[in-house]
Amino acid sequence: MKRIACYAALTAVSLFPCLPALAQDYSGRTLVVGTWGGDIERLLREHVAGPLEAMTGAKVEFLLGGSGDRMSKMVAERNNPTMDVTFQNIYEAPAALKEGLVVAPDAALVPTAADVWAGMNDGCYAMSLVGLGIAYSKALFPEAPEWADLWKEEFKGKMAYAPYPSSEGDGMLAVAARIAGVSERDPDATFAKLAELGAPVLSYSSLDEVFTLMDAGEIAAAPMISGYVLSNLENYEGIGFVFPKSPGPVLVRDMVCQVANSPEPELAQMFIDLALSVETQTAYAKELNFGPTNSKVELTEAEADRVINTPEEVTSLLQLDWPYVIEQRSDWTDRWNKQILGQ
Amino acid sequence: MKQTPDIKPIATALLVAPAAILMFGVFVLPFLFLVVLSFWSQVPGSLGLDPTFTLANYARIISDSYYLGGLWTTLWLSGLVTLLCLVLALPLARWIVLHAKRTKGLLIGLCILPLVCGALLPTLGLVNLLSPLGFINGALKSMGLIKTSLPLLGNIAGVSIGLIQAFLPLMILPLISTNERIPHDYEKAAMSLGATRLVAWRRVLLPLMLPGIVAGSLLVFCASLTAFVTPQILGQGKVVTFASLAYQQAAMVLDWPFASALGMVMLLFLALAGILGALVSRGLGRSS
Repeated sequence: MKRIACYAALTAVSLFPCLPALAQDYSGRTLVVGTWGGDIERLLREHVAGPLEAMTGAKVEFLLGGSGDRMSKMVAERNNPTMDVTFQNIYEAPAALKEGLVVAPDAALVPTAADVWAGMNDGCYAMSLVGLGIAYSKALFPEAPEWADLWKEEFKGKMAYAPYPSSEGDGMLAVAARIAGVSERDPDATFAKLAELGAPVLSYSSLDEVFTLMDAGEIAAAPMISGYVLSNLENYEGIGFVFPKSPGPVLVRDMVCQVANSPEPELAQMFIDLALSVETQTAYAKELNFGPTNSKVELTEAEADRVINTPEEVTSLLQLDWPYVIEQRSDWTDRWNKQILGQ
Repeated sequence: MKQTPDIKPIATALLVAPAAILMFGVFVLPFLFLVVLSFWSQVPGSLGLDPTFTLANYARIISDSYYLGGLWTTLWLSGLVTLLCLVLALPLARWIVLHAKRTKGLLIGLCILPLVCGALLPTLGLVNLLSPLGFINGALKSMGLIKTSLPLLGNIAGVSIGLIQAFLPLMILPLISTNERIPHDYEKAAMSLGATRLVAWRRVLLPLMLPGIVAGSLLVFCASLTAFVTPQILGQGKVVTFASLAYQQAAMVLDWPFASALGMVMLLFLALAGILGALVSRGLGRSS
């Protein structure tokens, strides 16, 4: 058993020669990582936590849940954090850095960060690239829809949304604004336009919940983040997914952050380094259809077609002014509750 | 007569101290912080808190029809669930006490099961049962009784079913306890004097069950008032309860002062329910 562990450690070391503070023994210490459950947790265990434990002797403990819960935890534990690494949404990372909750990205601390596409480490380290597109019922949409098609009268009241606030909700608001000929800085027109779609069939708490109804044609469409949907589509013949062109899909990015003043900063940096490595990022792309942020990742043509993986693709996407969106969080949540759900 | 041995005050203090310290640390202090926080505000555009005293959070709740509507929905939903639990639990508790001999322990264990399994798993099971493509709609369609699915999720009906499933044990257990103290032949005695079964229940059994009814109703009402997981999942974002609003503000909007104020309003109604229950119990004690 010891020999196997030794081989595993040697293999891991040979794969990740640049890890900082590698020589030190971290036996008996625990790194706490907050992330989403399911496939993301599985991939992180396989490609990041496993090698890190083998290399350092430390234990990696995962806290699973939503990014909002983790944001709350960071704020509550501001002076005495118990979490070392946290995965957040694109809109939360700059706010977390502004509040001093996370450590600013630094390639001197996390060497692989230098391989991330320029400009993407905004607030935290950019972990993956995904776009907000349309998951749709093939029975109701014989052709892949554009955003504007969702506003046709026959689909009124047949949408499903993720609970708000969320990347999906904010992205859909940005789309509604463009359809209305304004920007999201005009919330009256934006929410009025989105309200034209009618109250949603449901605010879903799991993908299976919404896909089962969409597969049966009870839900026409839902704005969804590409990675999760594409990974699940194989199980549902009646559901399609499209990146619309007018406006283009909305850019959504997952970020990985080092929590400020956390108990295990060196282990946290090593974990993030492994998370951004070519191996982990390739696994994210191949298994989850999450676009890699590491510029050195090489994908086959078929794999690349399913993900957003270059700066050129990113610039073609609809990008939101996230600091502005965050400032509107309270007001927009009230508007969403009243105008979108409460119809 | 056996007398309770004298315990010195210092020994009493030592016995009570661990639990008291624990309760102070994990309940009283956070609760006080919640109270204080509800009078603070969020710095605009930031996650920071402004500790200046303000009533703005409470003013927002009472001036916004959306939040008042959520409060009203939560209150009447809790009342409805309490009433339905009572209607279901009364005959069941009586039957268990009168007729379940060897199986009594097993039946009580089955009644308690929803309490010990937590809220999440049974609620997710109910999603499969109640959804448009779920077991109930599927069975009704296959029997030709309905053509389109009945809406059993995302409405008060679905949330009520979930809450009744979760909190029925809180009504059954006090009623079993009360029924065990009612002699088994009271019902027969009333009927031998000419009362129908309904009259015997209304004029004999129900008044004797009142302590259990009050205790069970209070427990179910308070549990329903603060329930979060079941309304969140079965309501599918369309049934607005105060607990789900507080969660949204605390965990997603990160406006903790406003979420604290929502929590305080909920606690106020819990306290009112508790006071009402205590008054009724005291009245029952005097009349007996």
